Amino acid sequence: MPASLTELLQLVLNGFMAGSVLALPAIGLTTIFAIRRYLNFSIAGHMSIGAYAGYVANVSLGWSSSAALVVAFLVAGVFGIVTDRLALRPVLRFGLTLVAVASIALNLVLENLVRFCFGNDIRSYDIAVARDWSLGPLRIGPQSFAALLIAAAIMLVLFLFLALTPLGKAMRAVGDNPVLADIKGIDPERIGSIATFTAMGLCGVGGMLLGLATSLDPELGFHVLLSVFAAAVVGGLGSIPGAVVGAMFIGVFEELSLLAVQPSYRSVMGFVAILLMLLLRPQGILGSGRS
Amino acid sequence: MTALEVERVVAGYGAHDEILKGVNLHVDGGEIVVIIGPNGAGKSTLLRSIAGLLRPRSGQIRFAGEPIGGLAPRAVSRRGIAYVPQEGNVFASLSLQDNLEVSGWLDRAHWRARAAENIRRFPWLGARRHLAARSLSGGQRQTLAMAMGLMVHPSLLLLDEPSAGLSPKAAGELFDAIAAINAEGMTILMVEQNALEALRIAGRAYVLVDGGNARDGAAAQLAADPQVRRLFLGA
Repeated sequence: MPASLTELLQLVLNGFMAGSVLALPAIGLTTIFAIRRYLNFSIAGHMSIGAYAGYVANVSLGWSSSAALVVAFLVAGVFGIVTDRLALRPVLRFGLTLVAVASIALNLVLENLVRFCFGNDIRSYDIAVARDWSLGPLRIGPQSFAALLIAAAIMLVLFLFLALTPLGKAMRAVGDNPVLADIKGIDPERIGSIATFTAMGLCGVGGMLLGLATSLDPELGFHVLLSVFAAAVVGGLGSIPGAVVGAMFIGVFEELSLLAVQPSYRSVMGFVAILLMLLLRPQGILGSGRS
Repeated sequence: MTALEVERVVAGYGAHDEILKGVNLHVDGGEIVVIIGPNGAGKSTLLRSIAGLLRPRSGQIRFAGEPIGGLAPRAVSRRGIAYVPQEGNVFASLSLQDNLEVSGWLDRAHWRARAAENIRRFPWLGARRHLAARSLSGGQRQTLAMAMGLMVHPSLLLLDEPSAGLSPKAAGELFDAIAAINAEGMTILMVEQNALEALRIAGRAYVLVDGGNARDGAAAQLAADPQVRRLFLGA
């Protein structure tokens, strides 16, 4: 296989694996937007909270990484509900833009809470170090591949939940038309809290998967915030399948950009993708245009 | 037996905006009552006040003898009142089947059976059950909205302009469906611009003008009244 083609395939493969980890927080961001109608940038802080909650379970308590993922989900989910109630809902009466600004401030609070508790040192989970697998000329990191499988399994469960269960259908109904949902007897506020818990829980799991594939630091979530936001915008804000498609697109787009730009410019690619999408298809790949 | 009583209800949208200026109305069990009147008379505002979307500033709204004025929409629904708004009355991104099922949220134990019941009532729903509601025509959308309202077997069905935007043929079919639902014992309070068709199937009617009661009486009587015919029936 020619070297350039191998390099291209490797970048695409890396992109899909990176995209699968971005997909979970992107689903979180877009779910909150669909149900609550505001952008909650504190997903980054919740990724860090989840990642460090998983760290405590895995390293301090000696639990398996699977159990630690559950802890990451639950702790980030509970933080999500509490911070939504205390920091964001009270600001709602001043407008949606101010809620988004408040969520950026909240993000800083959460990051510094993690920094206060764990310091700035880079940490890692207690997992066995394994060599990369070889697939012909391509290499796959076992941790990244495990993260991809876990993210894919979680997304499958989430889609089945939304498509088949009464609560999932009620969530979609509230996202579609909260006033009509209220008329039908569904409490939009209660559904909003459940959606926030689930969305921030997914951010927590996404944070831990990112930490498993790389390492942990308090700004773990912030490092990928732009990519996550770009994934949600590119896929179509408010569309959960769109968030998955957008995350895969951004993952591959960022990796392929390495062919043309220095790695230090990689993070700028999120802006480029948002700009291109706003010019070509403002509603995003799978968006309805409502956003 | 009186199902719904509205007494001297005053309501509006802004701090000083009074749309309803002391409306009185009652609906007995099993009847169809229609509210007609010119644009801006407060017909839809009255239904929104009953459904819990607008808190009355004063006056009383009682259902089955219990006060319901100011309750949240979901609380009004729990009392057995199904409100079908004129617009935004279906979940556009959900399939027809999901629209029906979600509308049975208050009676989840029976929602699949109720959805099947509605598909028997409106067979075309069954053939399109997997399509998104946004793909429906205006008439189909209104029928789906009405079927959604029936998902919880309500005691009172509130219909806001069900024939708005429909062709005369589609409107006629919809009014026939409303009459058939009423024949099964359902109490219906309906706001309608298509006064002639609405009075055809209604037992009683109210005429609202400028947020207050102008006339009321038997539908047939009002349909024959020269003044009502001139003002609202285009005759």
